[in-house]
This record gives sequence, C-alpha cells and structure tokens, in this order.
Amino acid sequence: MQSWFKKYSLLLPLVVWLLLFLVLPYLYILIQSFYTTDSFGKTIPGFSIDSYQRAFSNSLYIGTVFRTLMYAVIVAFICIFISLPLAYFIAFKVKKNKTLLYTLIALPFWVSYIVRAYAWKIILGREGLLNEFLMWTGITKEPVEYFLYSTFSTIVCLVYILTPFVAIPVYTAFEQIPKSLIEAAKDLGAGSFTTFRKVIFPLALPGIISGGTFALVLTMGDFLAPLLLGGPNTLFISNIIQNLFGTSNDRPLGSAIGMLILLLIFLILQLAAHYEKKYSSLKSDTR
Amino acid sequence: MQKINAVAPVIALLMFLAACGGNSSNQNSTDSTGTVDVSKLKGSTLNILCWEGYADAAFTKEFEDKYGVTVKGTYFGSSDELVSKLQNGGGEAYDLISPSSDVAGYIVMNDFAAPIDPKAITQWDSLSPQLRNMNDVMKDGKSYGMPFTWGPDYLIYDADVVKTEPTSWKVFEDPQYKGKVALWDDISNIYLIGQMQGLDKTDKAALYNMTDGQLNSAKAELIKMKPQIRKYWATAGELDNMFKNKEVALAVGWPLTIANLTKEGRNLKAVIPSEGATGWIDRLMITSGSKNKQLAQLYLDYVSQPENMAKVLAVTNYNVANPGSVRYLTDDQKKIADASQFFDKLNFWQMVKERKKYNEIWNEVKSAQ
Repeated sequence: MQSWFKKYSLLLPLVVWLLLFLVLPYLYILIQSFYTTDSFGKTIPGFSIDSYQRAFSNSLYIGTVFRTLMYAVIVAFICIFISLPLAYFIAFKVKKNKTLLYTLIALPFWVSYIVRAYAWKIILGREGLLNEFLMWTGITKEPVEYFLYSTFSTIVCLVYILTPFVAIPVYTAFEQIPKSLIEAAKDLGAGSFTTFRKVIFPLALPGIISGGTFALVLTMGDFLAPLLLGGPNTLFISNIIQNLFGTSNDRPLGSAIGMLILLLIFLILQLAAHYEKKYSSLKSDTR
Repeated sequence: MQKINAVAPVIALLMFLAACGGNSSNQNSTDSTGTVDVSKLKGSTLNILCWEGYADAAFTKEFEDKYGVTVKGTYFGSSDELVSKLQNGGGEAYDLISPSSDVAGYIVMNDFAAPIDPKAITQWDSLSPQLRNMNDVMKDGKSYGMPFTWGPDYLIYDADVVKTEPTSWKVFEDPQYKGKVALWDDISNIYLIGQMQGLDKTDKAALYNMTDGQLNSAKAELIKMKPQIRKYWATAGELDNMFKNKEVALAVGWPLTIANLTKEGRNLKAVIPSEGATGWIDRLMITSGSKNKQLAQLYLDYVSQPENMAKVLAVTNYNVANPGSVRYLTDDQKKIADASQFFDKLNFWQMVKERKKYNEIWNEVKSAQ
C-alpha cells in the first residue's frame, strides 16, 4: 500500500487536473447531447437521441464532418510534403547551426495564431502583397480574388500553422536513423534518392505518421482559419459546432456532433498508433 | 449554496472598499435619484454587452468622469449570440444589454432583464412615444427596456465602383458584381430574400413566420447567390475592413459602416431599395443578474439626455430615441435624424418563433458547395 501510494502519488496532480478539466467536461457534453431544446435554445433535460438522429440525417452535419476530414487529409499531406525535404535538409545536409535551424522551425509559435491568420489577409488580399507582386510582374492583369476568402486561403493558413507540428517529429525521426545504415546503403551502390526511398523513408515512417496525425487532428478542430480566411463556401465542422453553441443555441446538437468528432479522432489516433508500431523497425522505436 | 458562501466575503470586502473610497464624494451630482448616495458607486465597473458602437468613449467618457466609474463595452455580433450569452449565465457578468426587436420580447419573457424605473429617467417622457409604447418589452405594466436607437439594414455600396444608385436588392445578383457582395452571417438574410420575393407586401410579420416552402425557396435563392458573395461578415468591423481594402463593393450593412468609412475618406453610400428594407429597434435593458442596477439606471438616465443621444448618433449614424437631440446636431446629422418618413418604410425585426429552423436553413446555405 505504502509503496503503491509512493509510486503513484506523483501522478495525483495530473489525475486531478484531467478529471476536473477533461473527464468531467466531456461527461457533461455527453449527457447534454441527449437533452432537447426549445426554439430559443433553452435546454430541456431528458433522454432523447433526437440530436444524434439529426446529426446523421442532415448532410449539413455529417457531410461537413467528412468534408472537414477531407480538408484535414489534404492539409496533412501538404505538411508532410513540405516537411520531408525541410527535415532532410536540416538532418543530413547541414553541418553547423543545426540547433538554430531547428529553433527557426518553432519560431512562428511565438506569435499568436490570430496575428498570423491576419497576416495572410494582408498577403492574399485583393490589394495584398501577392496580388500586387503578380500584377507588377505582369503575370496577371487583374487581382486574383480566389487567393483570399476561399478554401484555398484557409488551407494555406492551416498548412503554414501546422507545418512545424509535422516537421519536428519528422526531423526527430531522421536524426534517430543510425548513420551507418545510410552509409551501408551508399556503399552498396544506392544513389541519394534510392537511399531515401528504401532506407530513410521507411525508417522515418513512424515519425511521419505521428506528424501527419498532428496536422490531421488539429485541422479537424480548427475554426479560426475558416472563420477569418474562408469564403462563403468554406465551412468546417468546428464552425458549425461553434455556431450551434454560440449562435443557434442548440447545445444538445452541438454536443452530439462534438461526441461524434471525438469518436472519429480517437479512431484516427488508434489507427495512427497502430501503424506507427507496425512500421517501427528501429530499436529506439520499439518501446 | 457554496457559491454564495464564496462570494459573500468578496462582496463584503468590495462594499468596505467602496465605502472607504467614497469619502472624497462629489456632492454636486444632483441627479433625479436624489436618495442615492452616488459616491458609493465610485470605482465600480459598468459592463455593457451591446452592438458595436454602443459603448463608444465619445459618450461614455463623461459618465465615467462624473461618477468615477469604468464603462466597459463588450460587443456581440448577432442577436443569437446575445441570447446564447444570456442563457449561459452572461446576465451576471453584464449589467446592461442592447437587444434588438427580434429577441427583446424573448429576453423579457425569460426574466433575463429587470424592470426599469421610468421615474429615475428624467427624459423618459421626452423619448419617442412610438418606441416607448411598444408593448413587446412590457410585462405586468412595467417596462423592461429603454428605447435607444433604431435604423435600417441598408443596401450599402461603394459609389466609386457602383456608379448608379441601385434601386433593387437584385443588384446583388448582377453578374457585373460577381464576388463583390458581402452579406451578414445571420438569419436576417432569409428575411432579405423574403422581402425580395415580396412576402411582406401585405403582412409585415410574414418575414418572421415563413412557411417551410418559403424557407426552402429562400434557401435555394441564397445558394444561387453564393458565387456573387465574397464573404459573410461576422462583425461590423469586419465589413468596414472589407470595404476599406476594396474587397467588396456591395453589402447589407448598418449606417455605422457609412459613418466609419466616411471618416476614412471613402465614398460609401446607402439606399433603401424599392422592395423595402428590414430594420431594428434597439433597447437598453438592465440584466436581472446585474449587481450594479443602480449604476445601470444612472447610465440610462445619462445616455438618454438629448446631448448624449446626439453623441450616440454622431458615432453610429443611427436614429436615436430622444427627438430632443436634434438641437445638438450638425446639418448633415439632422438629415439622418429627420428620417421620420422612412420609419414607416422599414420592416422592423420581430420575434421569429422558428428561430432554430431559420438558423439551420442559414447553416445549410453556408455549407452548400
């Protein structure tokens, strides 16, 4: 008993914290998802699966969940696509100042999300930097309106915000690959690309999966980028939830959709963990 | 019960502090509230949850100085947001709210507001009787809202881009202005389509009681309009910015936007098209949960004075409830105030019984691809 307490007492603050601020709120949301409301959104306690039925029967809700998932997959893949060469460069090509470059990746975190989203408004706007530049060079005659207030600008912003979340685990994965394996591949006559394809990429796959999962999950939960930069057609599921809680005042339905997304995210995380394990072939990965 | 136990000592402490701080009382404030010792209010904060522009320093500063208090404004972006905040306990965090005619009745009905003492408002009898006597905020013979402002949901256009004055809301569908239109992110767009279809020709309330068929037709129209839309604006400030950056040339908006952009030197104009326009009547209400009811009442008395109402008009370009304010207006401002003829042209927001359905339709419009 004594030793048991000693061992786990270290966890106590965390357990209390999680219980109060994570488990209980989720429980409350779960309970609320079975309530109903009047027309102005006063919740009426009870047990009804009405909200879940509405969430599944109206494409506004279930359709938007899957469309958001699609956007999230796109964002995750672009982030991976950008992160791979970036992390490769820092891990293998740079000899000096590695720490500095690594810090530079994390640097944007020092600036608030909202400020960074607004910066994209300045860049992508009708009279923004990008349009001014394109017209100055004569590539376009008219300002390209699709740059801002569109799904495009939303994805650009999300990729920008989330790339560090992907680049850092990918870089860590690259760093853990023993140099001897890469040298062996080269000794056996493989070029840089073949080495990357056959040795580095498979070995780094767990890091890539975990980074991509970060981007995927965070996009699923984002509502600020579509709100600030999205156009009339950009609507993420988080915007609908925010609307259900803050405007339409349908908290049971908002809670039900919240629970569905939670379930979906759990599923994604489980899958990711499964594949991370499956593809981990380095000793340091097999924890 | 626990909550009260925790709060009580804090209140006691605050009262003690207020009593200490009140020694330097300025007894010259001879307000209608003769029995109130205003020196006790010193140092307190009046929290106002209101539409943009309703807590501007241009008129709150003098009140702050007079009583040694702070006026803090928090803006909401839609009537639904206000109701949602009140339902989630916001009534205790805010002392005053500025609901529009579409939710005012609901707020009174659900006891989110406290009754107002007209005797404590010196200008009460000078306020426009038309607004004062509206019965939607009356309950058991008591009034729960002081008329504050009213105005239209204008068709706003950038006169440098749109050279001729639009005569119909249909200009939003003109291919010439593709991607140049901004609508408000609110269910009021459904009223707008109803108005374009002439639903309110005989019965003004028709816009707020649309049938399923009419709602679906409005939804189809709004979806058809989407390629024309640049953005659904969430706050008046966002709309101002879009006009400023020339992202849009046409919009549904409030006179506040004209007021702000004119100050920036832009050539923005507004019109009520032939189909008419919707409008709103905003009241100031004291929340039932307010801990500063006395101060709130003093603010109502202060802000309804004609010279202060004139300042509200100067900031917002909205029509104000005290006709006596005319004396303090410039000629340009008088033109706004002299809108008695267009009061009848507007279809003022009413309570929407099927608000949830309206909101769902609006969300479906937004999610349509």
